[in-house]
Amino acid sequence: MRWQVPVFVCLASVLSVVPAASKDTGVSVRDAWIRETPPGMAMMAGYMELRNNTSRPQVLVAASSAEFGSVMIHRTIAKDGMAGMVHQPQIELAPNGSLVFAPGGYHLMLMTPKRALRAGDPVVINLEFRGGLVLPVAFEVRK
Amino acid sequence: MHRISLKFSIMITTVALAATLAGVWLAEIYRQHDSRAMLLPDRVMTLFPDPKPLTAFALTDDGKRVFDLAALKGKWSFLFFGFTHCPDVCPTTLAELARAHDEIAKSKGGAEMVQFVFISVDPSRDTASKLRQYVDYFDATFVGVTGDNAQIGNLAGQLGAAYQVAITPGMENYPVYHTAAVFLVDPQARYHAVFTPPHDGEAISKRFKVVRELVRGKAT
Repeated sequence: MRWQVPVFVCLASVLSVVPAASKDTGVSVRDAWIRETPPGMAMMAGYMELRNNTSRPQVLVAASSAEFGSVMIHRTIAKDGMAGMVHQPQIELAPNGSLVFAPGGYHLMLMTPKRALRAGDPVVINLEFRGGLVLPVAFEVRK
Repeated sequence: MHRISLKFSIMITTVALAATLAGVWLAEIYRQHDSRAMLLPDRVMTLFPDPKPLTAFALTDDGKRVFDLAALKGKWSFLFFGFTHCPDVCPTTLAELARAHDEIAKSKGGAEMVQFVFISVDPSRDTASKLRQYVDYFDATFVGVTGDNAQIGNLAGQLGAAYQVAITPGMENYPVYHTAAVFLVDPQARYHAVFTPPHDGEAISKRFKVVRELVRGKAT
């Protein structure tokens, strides 16, 4: 999978669109996908690989999408021999580090999809970072 | 000459015999070592040397039929405890189990000797029809099962399957914790092995093949 070319949209200003290679604000995302679920299910999960291209920490604080009622950052954890999910208020990306959202670990919990999403459908999810950076990421629904 | 030759031939025969015996002995050691290696718990599966017979329980399947101890007899059963409002662990596991089923079904008689059972620990949300729709998506042969809390607890307890449903009044998406392990019950309804997450369908099907070979080896 090639690195997606992310587009940084400043919350305050509107017109400035900066390409991904920008070394100062660059967080890039690749292999962003959502697992297709049985029809009628109110919960889906999104996965991706995040990379911080800067030399300072970047903190993911929220995610949102017009396609879902709500989006939360979750992590599957083991607790007394059981798996459970915990809400992550924020996740820090180390300088020049990367972080993988994968089955059984970090994931975006996508609640109440507004339409039936099937394999191949593109879905945009906005990742919000501390400092106001919002990164719209194209996720692909996969079976 | 004749005597030397006789002595020589006896000696050769003895050496040859010893070598053959050593070979057989070594092969046996390797064979035992091999099967012992297969019995050792690894990251995929733990096989129990002394499978534990399960006792009576009463659950209901997604066609509202009784699913009890008899339903586990005559087939190898892969059991997984979860709930349908589970976005990460359950769909991931069921997708891998569907892959495992596809692999097992490739072998002769494979499809007929196994069943995959998804046991919902969340009966208040997972109705029979919802369960049917859910498991159908992953594999039309999968069976969805649930029941009252006491009976889910009964079977889960026998398998050491931990779960906790934290029903909170007024909270729609209450948290549910459950073991992510997959339990293998043999055709005599004995708890035979357990698969440890993260699951991989191909690895599960390969381990299952080893289990069947070992069981067949014991029977002969």
